[in-house]
Amino acid sequence: MFGRVRGAMADAAETLRRTFASLPVVTVVPEPFHPGSHRGDLLAVAPRPGLDLLAATGRGAKLFREGVPSLALPPFEAKLQAEAGWASWGAEAEVVRMTPLEAGRAAQVAVPPLPRQARTLGRVEAPACPGTRRIAEPLVHPGTRRLDPRLGDVSAQAGLEAILGLPIPIRAEDIQRLPKGLWMRYSLQLVRGTGENVRNLEVLGLFRIPRKGVADLRHDPRQSRILIRLEASAVRAPREPFILARRKDDGALLSCFVEGS
Amino acid sequence: MAESIKLAYFMAVKEGASYLGGLLVTDTSGIPLDFRYTEPITPTHLQSILYGKSLEPHLKEEVIQKTLLKELKTPPDLFILSATELAGGWSGDAKCPVLAVQKSQETPLVKVGTTFRAGPRDILLQLAEGAAPLRVMFAASVDAAAQEQAMAKLLEAGYHMDLTEPLERVTVALQSLVVKGS
Repeated sequence: MFGRVRGAMADAAETLRRTFASLPVVTVVPEPFHPGSHRGDLLAVAPRPGLDLLAATGRGAKLFREGVPSLALPPFEAKLQAEAGWASWGAEAEVVRMTPLEAGRAAQVAVPPLPRQARTLGRVEAPACPGTRRIAEPLVHPGTRRLDPRLGDVSAQAGLEAILGLPIPIRAEDIQRLPKGLWMRYSLQLVRGTGENVRNLEVLGLFRIPRKGVADLRHDPRQSRILIRLEASAVRAPREPFILARRKDDGALLSCFVEGS
Repeated sequence: MAESIKLAYFMAVKEGASYLGGLLVTDTSGIPLDFRYTEPITPTHLQSILYGKSLEPHLKEEVIQKTLLKELKTPPDLFILSATELAGGWSGDAKCPVLAVQKSQETPLVKVGTTFRAGPRDILLQLAEGAAPLRVMFAASVDAAAQEQAMAKLLEAGYHMDLTEPLERVTVALQSLVVKGS
């Protein structure tokens, strides 16, 4: 089916090609245009005789005694005038040839340079130059003062007495860390020193404090420590083991220095 | 020997417009061996303006602390100051390890004498059975070897005394001196 359609299309194309290919070409030569000129009759001017001369007559007036001098008017003279333009005016059209426009000469136009400096307009001149005056007396140079910003030297004071008056906490030593034999010896010395039965004593702690110069001593059971106040003599005194104990029957505090290890 | 260890506690306080400082030297029981304090220094208004924010550090480190250290006949084994002073950038020139001790809220370490290094200059030290460890902070000038030696001395002293307590004592003493002076 497509073959048929293609064939039909080819036949139609060939038919159209042949139809338009066989058309005769007729060359029409246009007739030249010749503008025709028609000649008309010349205008004729028929001369006619001129007007009659006017003649003026003088008339006397009697109204005035002296009379009025009469003026003689010059006579009119007729002149024959002819118009020559009519002769040259014809029906022929004069061909006016217009000169075609010619190309003008190209000329390079120089672009004027821009001004390098804008001109200031509207500058108002100073009305007058102020006069200068000179102060003859110079300013006095200020004197400088030096203030030393350094902080002054400080002197140190000895205040051992002041610090000894404050309570000094002494922590109890751990009895469990002591050698057993040493602790047995300490216990014996405690019984001897206090004169109490060992069963009636509760050891509160073993402390190392100065042998002398202890002015005050307080027990702090919550922290297992004692608070002591010292005198100046305590500074050089040897530190000795000190046992603090409580008597079970009445709660009284007992203490004694024990021999060092 | 435990008795040979000397601990120097330094504290500077401001009372009103005056500054004063104290240096307490104790043995390992906390008993005072020496105590020096400075007279109150009251900077002028002009000095306060000229020194600005550096006034207080300058007074504490350059004026008060150096004066007190010069007064000591023998240098201490450890120079202890408050944690606030140390955290503020201590720049003194003590010839012994400089540190601060502080009670902590940390869990107790395994046993007494155990240490735990929490930082290059921050060490926890267990001093008592079951108690919170002590926090020890060293100054930047103390190297690791010096830190170890200082920890051994602290352990020895901490067995007998509360290592943080003497600073409070110095503060109280300075305040009482100011009251007495006025």
